[in-house]
Parts: sequence; structure tokens; C-alpha cells
Amino acid sequence: MRMTLESEYSPDADRIMAVSLGPQHPGAGHFRIRLWLDGDYVVKALPDAGYVHRGEEKMGEYRNYTQNVPHLERPVILDSSNILFAYSLGVDELMNSKVPPRAQYLRVIMSEINRIISHMYFIAIQGLFLGHTTMITWCMGDRDFWIDLGERIAGARVTFAYIIPGGVRNDIPEFAIEKGLKTCDWFEKRMGEYEKIFYDNPMVHQRSDGVGVLSRDDAIAFGATGTVARASGLALDVRKDEPYSSYSDFEFKTPVLTQGDSWARAYVALLDMRESVKIIRQALKGLPQGPVRLKLGPQPRVPAGEVYSRTEAARGEMSYHIVSDGSPRPYRLKIGVPSAKNLRALPHLLKNVHIADIPVIYWSLNYWPVEADR
Amino acid sequence: MVVAQQQKAGTFQVLVGKIDDVLQYAIGDPLRYLANWGRLYSLWPVHLETACCSVEVGAAAGSRFDIERFGTLEAFGSLRACDLIIVMGTVTRKLAPRLKLIYDQMAEPKWVIAMGACSITGGLYFDSYNVLRGIDDIIPVDVYVPGCPPRAEALIQGIVLLQEKIRRMPTLSGR
Repeated sequence: MRMTLESEYSPDADRIMAVSLGPQHPGAGHFRIRLWLDGDYVVKALPDAGYVHRGEEKMGEYRNYTQNVPHLERPVILDSSNILFAYSLGVDELMNSKVPPRAQYLRVIMSEINRIISHMYFIAIQGLFLGHTTMITWCMGDRDFWIDLGERIAGARVTFAYIIPGGVRNDIPEFAIEKGLKTCDWFEKRMGEYEKIFYDNPMVHQRSDGVGVLSRDDAIAFGATGTVARASGLALDVRKDEPYSSYSDFEFKTPVLTQGDSWARAYVALLDMRESVKIIRQALKGLPQGPVRLKLGPQPRVPAGEVYSRTEAARGEMSYHIVSDGSPRPYRLKIGVPSAKNLRALPHLLKNVHIADIPVIYWSLNYWPVEADR
Repeated sequence: MVVAQQQKAGTFQVLVGKIDDVLQYAIGDPLRYLANWGRLYSLWPVHLETACCSVEVGAAAGSRFDIERFGTLEAFGSLRACDLIIVMGTVTRKLAPRLKLIYDQMAEPKWVIAMGACSITGGLYFDSYNVLRGIDDIIPVDVYVPGCPPRAEALIQGIVLLQEKIRRMPTLSGR
């Protein structure tokens, strides 16, 4: 969209100042927002995404279904299991393969661990943008315990590549189950401390209460998903609405808040993590025996057809549309990512806010540019 | 006559050279050592996130690995106060001019760490239509930290290597 300042704001063009925020800016990494300012207030904001567009979808077309696994998890390195979960579900459905129950449980465990890792990063940076240094110090340190747990299960530090078509890559070691249960117990206590020091903090309330309010109707109109939708009163959760894998076996709630402001969007993440801990504990305790992987061979043949699969990732609904023409490579691979869906609300939320509120609102959308650009 | 003048000038130049050497040993070298010693323990990286390796930089700056122990702390202020770019991963065609601009805006002396396989060779995305195959085509790189993404310990090792390089830097003014 080509737009000049004169054509947009001809009546008082000398009042309005055009500013570029990013891509090298502490408030917006690998992402740029074009701002039109009237004094301390934002008149108009246009997000300029695409600094990390790496052509994942095109690359997916000249790699086979197994080779696609490592590069497809890179866009959401914080949440690498959930993006592979949706891909694996889609390929499994295309191949009509029945994933063994133990593999299904392990998939759930890994994707919930990843949800916690991703939300911890989200809360940490939200604390940083609010000037709350304790939160980034605590969360970045505590996040590493979950990464360690993932490392013990999958072997890599952040890019687990654990969930693959046909099951999971390897079985969970015995000591990791014990370690996982211990981590769950410790983390539940720890989340109470987060609530005390961050969410009940009067400074945090003053900085983020009523800042960037997204009403329920607007959330529907902009197509918001995940934490953003749940903070605005929309009970959207693919795990509940369309239970995939073995999510129907576990007891958990979908946390919903109605305020729709930056505080609520950060608080939903904490409530989400509480539910994730519950799911992990149930899954670790009731882990069925059996194989964890179907034998597909290095270059699995996928019958012709197309499939749409979706999962609830940390940021919202992650979807894949895979078209196969019977060859070892996908004919078309379309990734629908939650960050891109939530970004649509940003120009609306940034109207008539103070400059100091921009980082808070921007980050409260749980926006990850690498994921949105694919 | 001419030969004598040349001889005279020659001895004068030798004398100047000797004085230069003495000054270099007595003042220049300690001064250079002192300046570089100050520089190597206060590296200020630019806050430029290029792709997904920024998560591991975040982890390295967090309370577990804490790269501030090595005197490295992300500078959230002006580019002019920075002397290090950590290129965190893939550089796309849209970002490449920005990266060059940011590098040119920084004051000398400045150093570059290429972090991750993508910024070294293109990594997993070597055959993508929108990705640069290594950043050393546009800016000079001092230390390469391989990995996809490199662990936080690997980044710390890269910073220590860069500090070693700065300590042995032969000139006062950088490159």
C-alpha cells in the first residue's frame, strides 16, 4: 500500500510527524512499525512485516516429507513442537496411519512443555517492556528448567524436532518422567510468586490496565486467536473445540478473561501455563506402554489428496494445508500461523495511545515476527 | 655534494625511526594495550534481531548464562555507543540494506559476530529465494559461531574469542 503523509493528513500536515520504529529498535525486533505522531499520541500506525520472510512454503515443495521437519520448526523456535504437531497430524491423516497411543501422549507432553517455554519468554519480555526487570531475570532463568526437560526428552536445546510424521523421534527416558513431575511441582509454586510480584503489582496494573483494549466484537472481526482472543472473552481453544491426538483424555480448562487489555493478555498466558502443567502431570502419570514410532522409511510415499490440520499452538491456532499429488514431496504446503492473524489487530490497538505504550501493546499481542513472516 | 646530502638525510631518517621505535615501545604499546583492555571487557552489542537465534541470545543474557559476566550487555540506546553487532541468524533481502546501514552508522572500532548457520552460509535456507548466503558479502565478520541455533555456551565462547582478538589487535584505531 502506497501512502503519503500529505494525502492522508492534508488539513494539519505540519502537526503530524512520521516516524519509523524498527527494525533496529528495542521495542520491536525484526519488525518495523510506521508511526504518524501528533505530539505524544499515535495518530496512525502501520505494521511493516516481512523482514524475516524466508520462503518456508516454497522450500517445503522441494523437500520430501521427512526433510521438511527441521526447517518447518525454525519459524517458531520458541514453540517448535506445536508447529510440527500440526504438520505431523496432517501427514498422518494423508497417509491414513494410526499413531501409537504412547507416541500420542509424548506428543502432548512435548507440545505442552513448549507452550510453557514460549509463554515464559512472552511474560519475560512483557516484564522488560513494562520496566519490570525482576520478571525478565526470573522468567529467563526458570524457562531454562523447562528447556532442560525438553533437552532430556528430545536431545536438542530449543529446536527439538521431536514430533515427526508417524509418531515421535525417540522414547522418553525413565529419569525424565521423574524429573518432569518434579519440575511440575516446583513450577506450580513458582507461578504463585509470579502472580504476587508481577500481576498484582500496582505499577504493572497502572502501566497495562486499559491499555490497548480489544473488545470481543473487534477480536472476532480481526480474526484474533489464542491468548489475544481468550483475553477478550472468546473461548477459542482447538484442544477443546476439536480435540486432536489424545487431548480428550485429559482434564483441563480454557482460561478466558473479559478485560481485553494488555494486562489480561499477559495474565491469560499464566493461566494457560497452569493448565499446561496439569496436562503434563496427567500425561506423565498415565503414559501407556508400546511403540513410539511407525516405520515410514526415509522417503515416505504419501497418497494423493489434500488435508487441513490444525493445533492450538502457544500463540493460537496453527494450521496447515497440505496438498499431495502422490510424489514424495508435497505439491503445496500452506502454513497458517497465529501471529499473522493477531497482527491484524495492531493498527487498531495503536490508535490514540501514548508512545510509551507502544512496546507494551505490541508485545502483549504475543507477536513473533519470524513466525508471521514464515 | 648530492650524495652527502642524501647520506645526511638518511642518518636523520634513521634517527627519526629510532625515536619512533622508542616512543612506540615506551608509550604506544602500553597505551594500545590499555585502550584495548578497556574495550574488550565492555562490548556493547546492537539490539538487532535478524531471526530466530535471538532467542538464544535472550537465554544467554538471562540469569542462567548471564553474558554480562563477560562485560557484554545489550545496548538499548544509540547505535553510536555500540561497538559490536551479533547477527542473530538469517539475513533476508529486505533486512540486508538495513544491516549495512546499521554497520556504517556505528563508530570505529567495531566488531561483528556471525551467529548461527544462516548468517555464515545460509544454513538450512541456503536454497531459499529470499535469504542471503552468509553475511560476509556485505559486512566483515570477526568471529563465526556455528550452530542452528548455537547454544548459549557457544555464544559465550564466541565472545571470549573476540575478546582475545581485541587484546591482540595491533593498532589503536581498530582496523
